[in-house]
Amino acid sequence: MLSFVLKKMGYGVLVLVGVVIVVFFLFQGFGDPARLVLGQTGDSATLANVRKELALDQPKWKQFTLYLNDVSPIGVATKADIQQKSLHGLFVGGDLKLGIKVPYLRRSYQNRRPVMDILLEALPGTMILAFSAMIFATIIGILLGVISAVKQNTWMDSSAVFTSVLGISAPSFFMGIVIAYVFGFLLHRYTGLFMTGSLYDYDVVSGKHLALKNLWLPALTLGIRPLAIIAQLTRSAMLDVLSKDYIRTAYAKGLPKKMVVWKHALPNALNPVATAITGWFAELLAGSFFVEYIFGWKGIGKTTVDALENLDFPVVMGSVLITATFFVIVNILSDLLYTVLDPRVKLH
Amino acid sequence: MQDQLSTPGTPQNPAKNGQQDGCTHADNPVLELKELTIQFSGKSVLRHITLAIESGETLAIVGESGSGKSLTALSLLHLLPRQADVSGRILLTNIDGQNNQYTDITFLDDRSMQDIRGAQIGMIFQEPMTSLNPVKTCGDQVMEAILTHHQAAASGNRNQAKNEVRQQVLQLFKDVRLPEPEQIFHKYPHQISGGQKQRVMIAMAMSCQPRLLICDEPTTALDVLVQKEIIQLIHDLQRKNNMSVLFISHDIQLVAATADQIAVLYKGDLVETGPAAQIMEHPQHPYTKALLACRPGLYAKGQRLPVVSDFLNTPKEQQPTIPVLQASEPAASKEKLPTADHPALLEIKNLNVWYPTHFNFWGRPTGYYKAVKDLNLEIQKGETLGLVGGSGCGKTTLGRAVMGLTPIHQGSIMFKGEDIHQSSLSKKDRARQLQMIFQDPYSALNPRIPIGQAIGEALQIHHNLSPKIRKERVCEWLEKVGLTAEHYHRYPHEFSGGQRQRIVIARALIVEPDFIICDESVSALDVSVQAQVLNLLNDLKAELGFTCIFISHDLSVVRYISDRIAVMQAGQIAELGDADQIYYRPSAEYTKQLLSAIP
Repeated sequence: MLSFVLKKMGYGVLVLVGVVIVVFFLFQGFGDPARLVLGQTGDSATLANVRKELALDQPKWKQFTLYLNDVSPIGVATKADIQQKSLHGLFVGGDLKLGIKVPYLRRSYQNRRPVMDILLEALPGTMILAFSAMIFATIIGILLGVISAVKQNTWMDSSAVFTSVLGISAPSFFMGIVIAYVFGFLLHRYTGLFMTGSLYDYDVVSGKHLALKNLWLPALTLGIRPLAIIAQLTRSAMLDVLSKDYIRTAYAKGLPKKMVVWKHALPNALNPVATAITGWFAELLAGSFFVEYIFGWKGIGKTTVDALENLDFPVVMGSVLITATFFVIVNILSDLLYTVLDPRVKLH
Repeated sequence: MQDQLSTPGTPQNPAKNGQQDGCTHADNPVLELKELTIQFSGKSVLRHITLAIESGETLAIVGESGSGKSLTALSLLHLLPRQADVSGRILLTNIDGQNNQYTDITFLDDRSMQDIRGAQIGMIFQEPMTSLNPVKTCGDQVMEAILTHHQAAASGNRNQAKNEVRQQVLQLFKDVRLPEPEQIFHKYPHQISGGQKQRVMIAMAMSCQPRLLICDEPTTALDVLVQKEIIQLIHDLQRKNNMSVLFISHDIQLVAATADQIAVLYKGDLVETGPAAQIMEHPQHPYTKALLACRPGLYAKGQRLPVVSDFLNTPKEQQPTIPVLQASEPAASKEKLPTADHPALLEIKNLNVWYPTHFNFWGRPTGYYKAVKDLNLEIQKGETLGLVGGSGCGKTTLGRAVMGLTPIHQGSIMFKGEDIHQSSLSKKDRARQLQMIFQDPYSALNPRIPIGQAIGEALQIHHNLSPKIRKERVCEWLEKVGLTAEHYHRYPHEFSGGQRQRIVIARALIVEPDFIICDESVSALDVSVQAQVLNLLNDLKAELGFTCIFISHDLSVVRYISDRIAVMQAGQIAELGDADQIYYRPSAEYTKQLLSAIP
């Protein structure tokens, strides 16, 4: 188990190194960072200074090594570096220190704030949104899938299948607008929900405070597609499992149908469903621009797209790295989940 | 539906007694079937079956696949597919009732059936591999059965009740002679062997002391040695608990020793029923006679086996007689094969096939399961070598290694003087000379490819023929294996097991290989169909003269088809010799065990 996790983490690090390489070289060709930092004003001397500060005067491989050293959790830094980049971590050594640190994602071109801070600000919103959307999608999706499998070829089955096809085919920007309009505007009197809003609200009296009710509509919108897919996967897996010999055995034992379905059939049908759930979860953690944009929700997706619009590459690169890290972590977790769901799965 | 529904405990129509049937004289039956008919969308698969299972006795239902014997068993517990249409009456005698107090369970509601399933009628299924839930431990699955039927016990102190049930399960595991009950309790089904799984199934079926135990081909998927033990176990448990058993099998010889009554089903009709001894010694119906006569153990090597049609389609005088089992070696048929004069066609030297089981951090194997250990074997041209052994002895692995389907660890396999694993022959050329006929005809054919195409595919790969000639050749072969050219465009699911095995044989032989490996090719077939396929193999061998390794766990089949027999045990050859010599004068202890296990 431990060796499996270690090995997977090793692979994960390799994946991340790959991502860093791709990200770094991909964003090299666009625009002139020094210009972006300075804006339209500024003479050539200042420009040269900024270039020097961003190490743009160095050869490409050196720039890359410096970047790698910055984003890696283990790296070398001088005293001045630590001060200037405000690195957090444990360092040993004299003038040139080696240490374990929080990855340094550099500063935004736009407002010179550390990228890490910008992303950490947006992260809770995205995480809570993704969690709630997935919990909603998982519970309702599995429920719908089981019901439509057990009641195969009845009106319940066909309406569940119809709804889920609808859910898969409706794009989220469209669903988002419809849901925001219906629940946040037309039915506002009954639901008390607003069309837009973020995880934290600001008001004149109490200042910044948590506004969980703003979560309902974006979570619903975001959950619909995974819900539809989970429901369909559960349905087909359950139909397969329900025809298995051990289900017949369970009936022959005298178990009531409810127990056969939920205790014998469902655990066997969860494997493909788990793949879908973890995959979607990782994807939602990357943020979802449309939903965040429509509902005015502060999250990674919106931050990234905004940064991209302004060619603010450090933010974009940072968010790509964070997203990739999420995918790696969720992948390891999902592998572990398989062993919990099915004792036959062995980890090598 | 003129029968009224009734719940258990309320006797219905006590005046109506099962006396009007001539064939089953009901003295003290546990369960009676009256005029039971099962239809699937208007097509009847079981017609007017009237049977009674006496208390404390064993009724065996015998018939080939498709005869409706499993449907009969499933109908008792309402486990038939939903579209099945049942008519007739299934009468279950009440527990405290006298002779004629019974409950009609034919159309009983689901809730009442739950109380009968497991508690009064237990069932063991054919496939122990798939009949246990893979994600629950063996102990949990048996405990669940007990807890379901003893709600009262569970309603008190839950933990204490659970503990008691746990003890009960451990005792049950001991009763079914499982080794280390404590460990097996916590193991998942995939961690124990097939025979052990079937024992867990038996423990589960026995857990609520049912009055009737239905065994639906409980040993068909197991090898002979385990089969013998399981049959004995069921018999012992029946004696101990004074329980009735409904035993379903395709093999009349298997049930002969333990059954009190035998009923023979043929294509949905009950053709004969009576006491076991009477059926075995004086079978009346030609089909029963055919079942008794078609066992390969009764005939000398190569002699044509009688098949069902020989009995059904011929007048009584011309029917073949049922030979008596010979205990000693037949004097005839002693033509010795030319041995060691010329180099062997296949030569296996110090063969080791190991499967890695443990891996270190870097993925390198550190531990192995040694399936074949230092094995030496020579096979002459034109010979049929029988390879026998219990499951897990390495016989299938050996076959696969010869085919080049599994990597070998050490040693060499020389085919026509060339090492298979290093020879200049490409994989394709080798496949043309070496072909394999697999065990399970149901899964060996791709369900989405018409059989004509499946057979022709081999030709297309190995001989570049025009589509027209290819089709002609395929049709020719279809006729050779007893099918017709019209079958060319049909899909595998339209054929019976025996027909599918013929298709598989045609597919293997159409490229005219020099060497064939038959891996348990007749084990999945009914005895009656097995005879047909064995005849076919004998005919084709006489015509084409291929060399053959015939792998099986059944020594009587192997003796019938082979020139020499190699008995394998734990990856090594325990005994090797002339077929008749091994069969009639075995020297190794393991061979003797295998022989005594033949029903």
